[in-house]
Amino acid sequence: MSLLKVDNLSRYFGGLAAVSKVSFEVPQGGLHGLIGPNGAGKTTVFNLITGIYQPSSGDIRFDGKSIVGLEPYRVTALGIARTFQNIRLFGGLTVLDNVRTAYNCRVQYNLADAVLRTRRFQAEERQLTEQAREFLSVFGLLDRQYELARSLPYGEQRRLEIARALASQPRLLLLDEPAAGMNPAEVRQLMSLIEFIRTRFSVTILLIEHQMGLVMGVCEHITVVDFGQVLARGTPKEIQDNPAVIEAYLGKSVA
Amino acid sequence: MKAARLLLPLVVVLAVYAVLQILFMTEVLNAYWEKIFSLSAFVTICCLGLGIIYGFTGQFSLGHAAFYGIGAYSAALFTKALQVDSALGFLVAILIGGASAGLVGFLIGLPILRLRSDYLGIATLGFGVMVKTGLDNTDGLAGLLGGDLLGGARGMTGIPPLASFTWAFGFLVIAVIVLRNFVYSNLGRACLAIREDEIAADVMGVNTTRYKTIAFVIGCAYAGVAGALYAHFYRFLHPSNFDFLKSVDFLMVVVLGGLGSITGTVIAAVGWTFLLEGLRFVLPSNLLDFRMVIYPLILIAMMLLRPRGLFGGNELGPLKPPIDEPQPKASEARSPGVTA
Repeated sequence: MSLLKVDNLSRYFGGLAAVSKVSFEVPQGGLHGLIGPNGAGKTTVFNLITGIYQPSSGDIRFDGKSIVGLEPYRVTALGIARTFQNIRLFGGLTVLDNVRTAYNCRVQYNLADAVLRTRRFQAEERQLTEQAREFLSVFGLLDRQYELARSLPYGEQRRLEIARALASQPRLLLLDEPAAGMNPAEVRQLMSLIEFIRTRFSVTILLIEHQMGLVMGVCEHITVVDFGQVLARGTPKEIQDNPAVIEAYLGKSVA
Repeated sequence: MKAARLLLPLVVVLAVYAVLQILFMTEVLNAYWEKIFSLSAFVTICCLGLGIIYGFTGQFSLGHAAFYGIGAYSAALFTKALQVDSALGFLVAILIGGASAGLVGFLIGLPILRLRSDYLGIATLGFGVMVKTGLDNTDGLAGLLGGDLLGGARGMTGIPPLASFTWAFGFLVIAVIVLRNFVYSNLGRACLAIREDEIAADVMGVNTTRYKTIAFVIGCAYAGVAGALYAHFYRFLHPSNFDFLKSVDFLMVVVLGGLGSITGTVIAAVGWTFLLEGLRFVLPSNLLDFRMVIYPLILIAMMLLRPRGLFGGNELGPLKPPIDEPQPKASEARSPGVTA
């Protein structure tokens, strides 16, 4: 069954339909691509799924339950994590603390435990720090754990953002243009990274991307949106041959 | 190993306290200086409170002096009405000061913490003006809530002399330890994440409303505790001591010390108090009022030379982030593209 089901989702900003009656499904364990020209409404869909915006109409079901109306932190607690198109790390925090922040909704100790440094605090803090370090080591960022996130080079910031999202133990990971600003070599690295986290963390992925090489290379299924509406859906092969998609990207043929 | 790490700061703190006490008792430093040292401790506690709200959580507040005043007046009302003269009674009064400021902070924070940056500043500024005006007009409350004890615009007198340098110093140490332990915990990380990027914090599972409220309430309670101590040291409260300009003073101390730095806030608060008083001695008497010209000039110079404040978010000694946990073994499976 599908892990994520977006059903007739619409969002209006004033008179503008940023997203209009969009429907798609992401099966458990799938790698689904969401593509479309600039301004097509892809990021708005992400913002609707994660609870940053509320839909004007339509439904979003995660694992069978509607998540419409939930605040973003509750959506995260249910098991949806995301990255941002323009990287949003906690720049003034260390690399380690960026990952440790992701454990926030799972921490059990309270304010009194923290102030009095109780056993419970120490045990939990030690455990989550070790977990965070293991994460960083998997992503090759352990050497940089005490550096400020903003001081990392661009590629590593992208990687840290993915690590941070995965640290919240999501079942569904939303990646918003992870390849933005990357050169071809970095894109190839990113593709194998995506394959790797899929198997290692058995996470379902929904991906927004402009780099066609990446989308066609890794996605199993693709939904194309334009002007807030679904234009086409299908396998990468079907999408590549779809005249409506080609038109949306390249314009009408004059011939 | 852990005990040794705690021992040194403890010895230093006790030594500082002992030396100052000896100097006060032998009157090398007279009662005036004891007052200034104590005042610097009150100012520091209050500024640490604003540091939690603005420095660590990034919520811009221009009404911090109002909470200082609420703590001062509520604690003084308690001791004056009940003629408290014991240390235990005073401790209760301090807790009342902190709790009432914290409670008001909670009630006012619920609606206004939804606002961001400048708008929150304006809302807190408005609240500060409200409290000051309220304190000016407590005569209207005569007959209820002990309104006739508060003195209105004439100021509140007859507060029992319960505070001393020891109280001030003791609470300052507690305030610093509590804040340090708060900052280096899950709660502190959540607050910092909100300061760095509220949307990202939200999406990473941080209940931003909850942590903003926690930070605001703790910060206000700090101001309330400081106010309660202040009231029983100076024994005279006047609404003008808690007006907008006082809030600006606290804000400047926090910015000057460096946002998100406990060490910086302590040093800036103590330095600020001593600078204002020290200028009294340096300047000839006919130029005394120029203190308020010289001190902003120093501020401007500081901001040009060190735009991120004295400490720019860094800490000293035991206030540094704890990093002594054991390192895990390198994990067997690594992500592709990682060669390091």
